[in-house]
Amino acid sequence: MNKQEPIIEIKGLKKSYDNGKIKALNGMDLKVKKGEFISIMGPSGSGKSTLLNMIGALDTADEGYIQVADIDLMKTKNLNEFRSKEIGFVFQMHNLIPNLTVLENVQIPMFETKASSNEMNERALELLKSVNMEDKINQKPTKLSGGERQRVAIARALVNHPSIILADEPTGALDSKTGEVILNLLKDLHSHENVTLVMVTHEPYVGNMAERIVTVLDGKCQIDTNVM
Amino acid sequence: MSFLSLVVKNPFRNKTRSSLAIVGIAIGIMVIVALGMVTGGLKNSTQSTLKAGAAEVTVIQAGSNGFGSSGSINDSYVADLLNVSGVKDTAGTLRASNTSTGTTSSNSSQARFGGEGITITGIDSNKLSLAGVDSVNGTAFTNSSTNEVIIGKTEAQSLNKTVGDTINLYGKDFTITGTFETGNFMTDNGIMMPLSTLQNLTSNDGKVSDILVKVTDNANVTSVSQSIENTYPNQLSTTTAASSADRINQGLSFIDTASWAISLLAIFIGAVGVINTMIMTVYERTREIGVLKAVGWKDRRILGMILGESIVLTLIAFVVGTVIAIVGVEVLLTLVPSVGGIIKPSFAIDIFLRAFAVAFIVGVIGGLYPAYRASRLSPTEALRYE
Repeated sequence: MNKQEPIIEIKGLKKSYDNGKIKALNGMDLKVKKGEFISIMGPSGSGKSTLLNMIGALDTADEGYIQVADIDLMKTKNLNEFRSKEIGFVFQMHNLIPNLTVLENVQIPMFETKASSNEMNERALELLKSVNMEDKINQKPTKLSGGERQRVAIARALVNHPSIILADEPTGALDSKTGEVILNLLKDLHSHENVTLVMVTHEPYVGNMAERIVTVLDGKCQIDTNVM
Repeated sequence: MSFLSLVVKNPFRNKTRSSLAIVGIAIGIMVIVALGMVTGGLKNSTQSTLKAGAAEVTVIQAGSNGFGSSGSINDSYVADLLNVSGVKDTAGTLRASNTSTGTTSSNSSQARFGGEGITITGIDSNKLSLAGVDSVNGTAFTNSSTNEVIIGKTEAQSLNKTVGDTINLYGKDFTITGTFETGNFMTDNGIMMPLSTLQNLTSNDGKVSDILVKVTDNANVTSVSQSIENTYPNQLSTTTAASSADRINQGLSFIDTASWAISLLAIFIGAVGVINTMIMTVYERTREIGVLKAVGWKDRRILGMILGESIVLTLIAFVVGTVIAIVGVEVLLTLVPSVGGIIKPSFAIDIFLRAFAVAFIVGVIGGLYPAYRASRLSPTEALRYE
């Protein structure tokens, strides 16, 4: 795929809940180029998380067109495989599995790949080094700080070499100093791993770290700003 | 980390709940294994009454139930029966019981299972094989002796006697010349002495309780049995070893049926317990299941994980229940020697396979619904779950 070609292409996407009473997406249009780092901003209930769920194939739209990494998500049945190969999620709450070690948590997405045990170990270790967590690989998440947990979650998101990282309020549960560290880490990994980074946030200073800011209001893209 | 190690690890996230579920299932497994070992042991004992060398037909006085303990048939029949077609050999036996077992005192006694005394059988030493005694550890008594006996292995253990010891019966000391083991718990729980000696001691001269009949190799046991009854109508009646074994097996089959009923009950109760445990697990881990779906896990992998965890629980319960059953039965039989003398627990593989199958089925039935529920969760709803 050419870097200028869109990796995400959305046209007239609609999604409603509660028998159509709540219109979460109301004719959303969006194009994201490969390797871009964009922030999706907007007030609570504007549809930004729904948009992220649609891009990550966690939910399906009612109508419209959505193609991600050359896959038409309105037609594809095997959405698990799509998520496994193309998408890495970073959640507001780290969502690590408490009884597994840091290393094992990072390996979890690799169960759906054909990687051997050694390959799983090598890849997880490589990523944990890149997020400066190599000295805590055998610790359980309960022993880690909020920032450390989010670093592990970022490593987990990257482990299957996804083409897109979807981060939903990745600093929402962190103090501002730790949040900044995590954002810088995401930004570094975005360039280093050459992935497209789509981040949902409602905090302007977080959004401003992206190359492009898309503001969502009433289920539509209202403002599209290039930061640099 | 492998998927299997994850499945084995997960049930122990909530140790208390998992342990309680394991205990619940293990109790069912324990009952299945313990009952199986005991009934299996009784069955084996019944089968040993059909040993190759032993008599196939037992002749008793007509109208008697065959369980009398004194002589009721004239021993002239022992020789007469040899004339019946198909009869190869005969042996008269006299059965009696005696409660005095002290080594020096005729008054000492021991409590026995069922409150009965030692069963003493009088039989000629050259006819021991007809009573199922193929070999004697030591030497058999001589027919003319008046102070020699051989003792069944179980009885010897119960009385702590061995070859060379003496035993007091009817106020008289007898030397134990040998021990025997037939596999039949009733026979092994008794003493044998020369027929004439027991007849003298019990004032049953010329009388026997029953006559053991060995048929010729090509003869039909039922036909021979019928011929005897036809030859001596209203005098003698017969029972075959096979029909006796059948009667006992019928009783055991009731126990077997009860064992199966308990197995089914264990499956039902265990499955309910496992369903409860696994549904709680799925509820608690809803958000985690959402994450697993988000990172690309297929529905069937999530189903396999929860189902696997359920099976891990029940297989641990199988091991725990089996160990408790084996130890429990052995301890019980050791602590109560009178029962231990009668029952030799069976360790037949089918008992353990049945318990394993029950555990596995409980695991599958108990885990299936929660696993299906988990696999069908919507990722977005699961991730929003508080």
